[in-house]
Amino acid sequence: MVSLPDRTAMNAIVSIAHRTFEGLLTAWAAVTITFFALRLGSGDPTASLLSQGLATPEQVDALRHSLGLDTSLLSQYSSFLIGLISGDLGHSLYTGRPVSRTISEQLTPTLELALLSLAIMLLIGLALGVLAAWDEKKPIGRIAAYLSDLATSLPVAFTGILAIYALSLVLQLLSGNPFLLRLKHLFLPALVLGFALSGGLARIIRTSLLQTLQQPYILAAKARGLGRGFRLLWHALRPALPPAVSLTALEAAFLFSGTVIIETVFSRPGLGRLLVSSILHADYPITQGLVALSALFYTASQILADITALLIDPRLRREE
Amino acid sequence: MRLHLRQRLSIVWLALMIILSLAAPLLVQHDPLQPVAPPLSPPSRNLPFGADNLGRDLWSRIAFGGRLTLSASCLSAVITLLFGGFFGLLAAYVEGRLERGILWFMNALLAIPGLLLAMLLITVMGPGLPTIILAVGVGGAPGFARLANSVVHSIQQSDFIEAAKALGADRGWILRYHILPNVKAHLLSFATTYYAWSFLGITTLAFLGFAGDPSIAEWGVLLNSGRSHLIDAPWLILWPGLAISLTIISVHSLGDWLASDVQFRADKLTKQC
Repeated sequence: MVSLPDRTAMNAIVSIAHRTFEGLLTAWAAVTITFFALRLGSGDPTASLLSQGLATPEQVDALRHSLGLDTSLLSQYSSFLIGLISGDLGHSLYTGRPVSRTISEQLTPTLELALLSLAIMLLIGLALGVLAAWDEKKPIGRIAAYLSDLATSLPVAFTGILAIYALSLVLQLLSGNPFLLRLKHLFLPALVLGFALSGGLARIIRTSLLQTLQQPYILAAKARGLGRGFRLLWHALRPALPPAVSLTALEAAFLFSGTVIIETVFSRPGLGRLLVSSILHADYPITQGLVALSALFYTASQILADITALLIDPRLRREE
Repeated sequence: MRLHLRQRLSIVWLALMIILSLAAPLLVQHDPLQPVAPPLSPPSRNLPFGADNLGRDLWSRIAFGGRLTLSASCLSAVITLLFGGFFGLLAAYVEGRLERGILWFMNALLAIPGLLLAMLLITVMGPGLPTIILAVGVGGAPGFARLANSVVHSIQQSDFIEAAKALGADRGWILRYHILPNVKAHLLSFATTYYAWSFLGITTLAFLGFAGDPSIAEWGVLLNSGRSHLIDAPWLILWPGLAISLTIISVHSLGDWLASDVQFRADKLTKQC
């Protein structure tokens, strides 16, 4: 007979393994859809090179051969999958450089932006959500609730431009300060993106807190003489965490669409701008690599969210 | 349910935008595509919103842009509702393994963020406003398919479906006469939600430069072209930015209100049973 803690740990491991397998299957499907969508729709990607006069027919034939376009679709697909597993995403149509290297060069600025945005999102989202529940009927709580609605509604493109404008007015006063330049290139875009993402989190925390505060155990805590702040932050916040974590994971997975806009607005280098330029130039190996990467990232963040949920929510570990 | 001040303001704003788009030729004096003043002229009596970098009347571009943006996002929301609704209802109708297959496919598509899915379609079909409309519409479809499917399933749990089954109704009958009328109650709330998504998607993609022609008067395009003259002509981003923001805020606040209204009615229905 296995002792109880071991069995709950086993259950957790089995369910994580199950989710991981499901996630990988989903990622595979998404990658496959991307591959075939790009092949079936655009036809021969080298045709545009030929029609723009960027290459001679002989060069195009050589390019088609080196890209493997002269083989059948299925063999292209299998070599694409094998390449994906070994980290080889093919070569750019324009620069001829390996896609994986182009992507990894642009990865750092995007990762920097994404992580800082996530941190800011957690900070603002938590603060607005708790504040909105804390003073539900008072002006401060209403302002917090309104701000979180505003955060979800305002388009990042516009808030980003406004932030640049505001900072440029300040910069005219304090020109050439290296700290402010850093602020302009990293902190400001992260703040704009983090604020935009914080709305959903604040809303979930507020709703959950207001629901939990009606529970009998909160009344019991009150009867024991625990202060309001303690009840709210210690007793009521915990049940709000699992939905908040799963929402954060979803936001993190979709952070890429946000960085696409923010990087364009702030003229920052990164994966988002790489994606936009690859689409505008019909450089399909790069598009394909980036979309595949984002699908894999989505899967990874979902699995991570499941693990975190198991860790923070004891109800999920219990045997069924 | 009572309309709060916020919803009233939202309705007023949206009504104004619709009137502005419909009556655009009556409200403006200048052609939105022809230069009429020195480039970057500040707002004046003749040009209430100023002139852009090519000397075109911004007020006229905003008014005609409203036509383009509002109708384009309407169209792509319709595409989302049709595509997504079809797959969501189809999945609920076929049941069993086929349903799981369809939903699994939708989940796989959801692993690609909606905006990226739209961009993928733009890669396939090439930039341009019609492409953006279709891409945004299709990009929202997997999410809506899943939502529609789950709504159908929640209705299927009701006792009156059980009663209909006991009376010998087949699946098609139940879907047509018992489920669809109840889905209709959610339709307005869904339409608002997906209108917001389409509006944001279209302005964003146009902003990113996927509309192809940079001279068209679409709000996202206007916002993007105003960026290069941020310091010397800030009004170029102010008007399109405000038009986009206020519209999306209005649609969102109406959507929230409608969703809580649907919830309110659903609660009342279950209490009556």
